[in-house]
Amino acid sequence: MTGDLAARIAGEVLAARREGPPVLVATVIAAPDGAAAPVGAKLLVRPDGSVQGALDGGLLDAAVRSEAADAFRRHGVDSLFFALDGARLTRQQAETQSSYQVMLEVHESPATLLIVGGGHIGKALAIIGNLCGFSVAVVDDRPEYADPERFPEADQVLCGDFVETLRSFPIDASTYVVCVTRGHRQDEVSLRQVVSSTAAYVGMIGSKRRVAAVLQHLIEDGADPEAVARVHTPIGLDIGAETPEEIAVAIMAEIILGRRAQGGGRPAGGSALAMRDVKRPRRPGVSPSERVPPADD
Amino acid sequence: MNEVYEELHAALQQGAPVALATVAATRGSTPRRPGARMLVRPDGSFCGTIGGGCGEAEVRFEAMEALKDGRPRLVRVDLTNPIDGDDKICGGVMDVFIEPLLNGAPSSPAAPLV
Repeated sequence: MTGDLAARIAGEVLAARREGPPVLVATVIAAPDGAAAPVGAKLLVRPDGSVQGALDGGLLDAAVRSEAADAFRRHGVDSLFFALDGARLTRQQAETQSSYQVMLEVHESPATLLIVGGGHIGKALAIIGNLCGFSVAVVDDRPEYADPERFPEADQVLCGDFVETLRSFPIDASTYVVCVTRGHRQDEVSLRQVVSSTAAYVGMIGSKRRVAAVLQHLIEDGADPEAVARVHTPIGLDIGAETPEEIAVAIMAEIILGRRAQGGGRPAGGSALAMRDVKRPRRPGVSPSERVPPADD
Repeated sequence: MNEVYEELHAALQQGAPVALATVAATRGSTPRRPGARMLVRPDGSFCGTIGGGCGEAEVRFEAMEALKDGRPRLVRVDLTNPIDGDDKICGGVMDVFIEPLLNGAPSSPAAPLV
């Protein structure tokens, strides 16, 4: 690989991490002596399948390109083993024959956590979301809550009418929206703006009764029932959360589960299916939101 | 962008040599998951973490070596041997890939940068 090519790949990686679209970089990290693809060789694959660079310039490149769609779905970093002819190997197989180890890294801009409502839960969520690597945006219509000094961990703090602000906010498939405003009226107008978007996650806090009424209104007003059914509510994994901070942990856990478990991710401690099952045996009448006073500030 | 990539961006712009260490794979219980990264400068100072402790010291040393000889390398950090240091209590193995970026661009044996 020439220095020019390496610099171009590094430039694309930095651009992808700053503002997307994502890129996949495959790097040979172990190779037999004298192999066609040396340690350090890189191949960059874009979501449209176009490439930059090369590994062995042949079978290994083709094998890696066929793994690209899977890798983009997993988001993170993984390492795979290949025979010299490009056939996939297990680590055990790789230990007994000439093989390559290839690191696959997806570089992308951080997902956005859009927090609608700057109260106690919103504040705790902003901290946890930032810790987990999300780009955090907070929306509130009250200047004392939509205050950048209250949210030093947020990349954006937007003060304005919920409807207007959400209408102009760019929501895409890497946006996670959490509605935790001070009241059901604000939740309802906010949810209406985002429910039919392509957001990866839409969740709303509230007691079962309050949430059911809001969802019913949306359907009566012509919102797509399937989109309404996708709204995460009661919000968060059932971990018995009581305080705003604990509720924020439960919400973030649900978001991480959706993000990582999708497309074959392996959440620590069990299969994705087992993790999803955790949410089901909810004790009746003790959803976290029901223990929160209607006004969370 | 996180701290490691902000530093990397600055190093690339200034042409400052740095080595990027990335956890490429793990087996068993390890302090960090694949994708954890650390940037090491020639004087051994660094930002980011791949988990701390002896394993990190080993990776830092190898990163400084890589900056001297310009060769990328894979380091297997073995945290399974209890007599090797009592802070290696995790019990797993990490594959850490170390890549020197000299004068702002990764080097490789195929085309060493002069």
